[in-house]
Amino acid sequence: MYPIWEVPNLSAGIILGIIATFHILPSHLSVSAMWFNLYVETKAYRENRPEYLEFIKKYTLLLLVFAYVLGSLSGVGIWYSATVANPRGLSGLIHNYVWGWAAEWVFFIVEVIGIFVYYYTLNKVDIKTHLKIGWIFAIASWITMIIITGILSFMLSPGKWPQTGNFFDGFFNQTYWSQLFIRTTLMFGIGAGYAIAVSARLKNDDVRKLVVKTASRWGIAGLFLGALAVQWYLKTLPENAHGLLGSIVPKGLKTGMVISFGAMILYFVYAHIKPLTIKIVPAIFAIAVLFIGIWSAERVREIIRKPYVISHYMYSNQIIGSDVRSKGVKSEADLINERGILKIAPFVPSDLRSINEGNMLQAGKLIALIECSACHVLEEKGLRPLPQMAKRLGFTEATAAEGFIDSLGAMPYMPPFHGTMAEKKALVAYLVSLNR
Amino acid sequence: MEVNTMINTLQDPMGIPFYPILFQVLMILTFSLHIMFVNFVIGTSFLSVYGYLKGGEYWKHLSRSMVRAATSSISMAILLGVAPLLFVQVIYDVFWYASNMLSAGWVISFVFILMTAYSFTYVFYLKRHSKGNSFAIFGIIAFALFIFAGVIMHALGYQLLQPEKWLDWYVKGNTTDTSGASLHAFQISRFLHFIVPSFAMTGILLMLYAWYFKDRNDKDKGYLQWAGRMGANMAFVFTAIQTVAGFWWLLSLPSEFRFFLDPFFLISAVLGIVLLVCLYSARKDPVRYAVPGILLAFLTILGMSYARESLRLKYLGRFDYSIFNYKLNLDYGSTFLFLSTFVVGLVIAGYLVAVAYKSGRVAGEYVSTTSMNRWGKVSIALLLIWIAIVVGLGIVISVKNY
Repeated sequence: MYPIWEVPNLSAGIILGIIATFHILPSHLSVSAMWFNLYVETKAYRENRPEYLEFIKKYTLLLLVFAYVLGSLSGVGIWYSATVANPRGLSGLIHNYVWGWAAEWVFFIVEVIGIFVYYYTLNKVDIKTHLKIGWIFAIASWITMIIITGILSFMLSPGKWPQTGNFFDGFFNQTYWSQLFIRTTLMFGIGAGYAIAVSARLKNDDVRKLVVKTASRWGIAGLFLGALAVQWYLKTLPENAHGLLGSIVPKGLKTGMVISFGAMILYFVYAHIKPLTIKIVPAIFAIAVLFIGIWSAERVREIIRKPYVISHYMYSNQIIGSDVRSKGVKSEADLINERGILKIAPFVPSDLRSINEGNMLQAGKLIALIECSACHVLEEKGLRPLPQMAKRLGFTEATAAEGFIDSLGAMPYMPPFHGTMAEKKALVAYLVSLNR
Repeated sequence: MEVNTMINTLQDPMGIPFYPILFQVLMILTFSLHIMFVNFVIGTSFLSVYGYLKGGEYWKHLSRSMVRAATSSISMAILLGVAPLLFVQVIYDVFWYASNMLSAGWVISFVFILMTAYSFTYVFYLKRHSKGNSFAIFGIIAFALFIFAGVIMHALGYQLLQPEKWLDWYVKGNTTDTSGASLHAFQISRFLHFIVPSFAMTGILLMLYAWYFKDRNDKDKGYLQWAGRMGANMAFVFTAIQTVAGFWWLLSLPSEFRFFLDPFFLISAVLGIVLLVCLYSARKDPVRYAVPGILLAFLTILGMSYARESLRLKYLGRFDYSIFNYKLNLDYGSTFLFLSTFVVGLVIAGYLVAVAYKSGRVAGEYVSTTSMNRWGKVSIALLLIWIAIVVGLGIVISVKNY
């Protein structure tokens, strides 16, 4: 167990969530935008319409600045926030999937060099060469999606990996293909949203019409195919995830997805009928609506993974809950239950390593910090606050709280308590104290 | 708890999928490239502001070129920073994570500081032709933020080396400091050794700039000559200052390391001196020395990065930690996936760089030669073959498993 970072009223996990969700806007733009550029640029070339290049220049600048400034930095931001939210979880992923990430990085190199060369050589190299650069960028971008989807879906559904420990068994797991299909189709919805926003700044109405009409068609197709892929995805979800989807996923998130989907379809249809009426402010607003849908979907994906950070391996509180024999990894449950979390965790004040009457509450608080704070803040207000839960669940005396802690393992979304009897009593004492 | 026990408890039980030396070599190589571009970022953003404020035809021109170079250098620095960030987590997981957690607030700030700095650089870039000096503020803030980002990274890298202090930084009496609000360790000589080269490297970049455009008739020869010469002077002076900073750092190391006898240190010190001599001569003919200068400078950086790794092994060896004892869980499949992807990536990235290089050397439109066209087609084909193989493998595995 590493030191813990508490973010007042939030949690490090929420910081990760915010950065990761934001990252989807530029990253999916990056993957989809170039296909759109290729379509328009090829048309410009075949029909000899150099004025179309005005759009290419503007859209690529957006891509360059938004996707490769804020996008690549928020991508790095995911790593850093994952580090400080769940270092052991990230470490577990990296120690399995380092070569996957490294391979993705190779395509990231191609993307970054590609986008700069594409932008700065527009009208400076012959068009066939320029189109080649575009194709290279577009395909390399999609490959980054092929790779990252494997790692993301592994966290939710590790497939045969828990038995074999094999890289590819975990990578091509049961939700891999449906997730890849969802992202591949929806990215066109995202790319279309941006293209319409960019077109609002174009001077030539013909070009604007072409861009908005094409983008809205791509957007509608992307969203509909994406919705179909979601149905497929739901069928491939592990049983536990299905249960959580029906029980603990907040209704607001589901509504968020549905409303965002519906509103975007209407928006694209309207844009298709009246392409020249879309101005920049509503177009940006539409991207915000899209963002609500994505945020909701990503939160759902996080929630249905509970109680794990890496399904069937590590709990959200970073305790390894199962053996992975093929890798020689042992569950930590028995060790912690026998010796105590405060004995084996390195970052513990020496006076709290053994519990007594005098340090009971402090020890209990530290245990809560280690085992609960990934999902519950210890303050009065904020993300699922422990004090509020203690009050709501009526922890007025030790027996009630102890009974609740004993039942944690039976709840589909909570990790079981890990620790000795003395540690459990300390945690109970702390929880009861929160109710006063 | 003993520091050794703490390290063993924290280390990831998964092991690593290939021999540690490969991760170490990749980490050092990519870090060297990363820090070179970080140097370019700091140097070019400084010169872009300085030239903008100083004014005059040449300086304004230089400022515009430098801010453009800054934008792409930042992208390259980020891009090349990802790889060592990944590999350090593989073989130094315990140290990297502990250090990050102890200053977690700063770790997150780092990302937002860079976002702001990068965005401001773009504002400065897009407004580079504007009248007056008011947009300089964006460049100045960006420069200051880049330096500050360096301070954070420096602290994380330095805290990592001192596991014996971690507990004291985290535990206060019977409570723990979970705010992540402090940077706990800073060593000025070490920090300077990363920052001073920015001006030397950017000097060499200016020499390359003069060399690259020397055959373009539409470029102002006088200006290019001026820029190259200033670059060479700058590179020489700051390499000399860097030598002093290096010795200062060397003297502030724990004496039991006897680091002055370390072979990596000695090799890189010799390289540094050769570079200094080369730059001394370059002041008379910057164009001639531009390419050997950058190659020699990169070799010196690479040597220094190896020396830095050697120093890290010494720091952590005090607690019997060695990456070479890391538990192995060999996975040839994924190792092969990366290595073959890496080769493919080099071919494709090479094509893109070649297009950029060739198109910049001519004044009008560049038309690809037959061999360049073929290289482009091969690049696209390689990407498609990659997809076919990986998707094919995925289908086979999915059919087998489900």
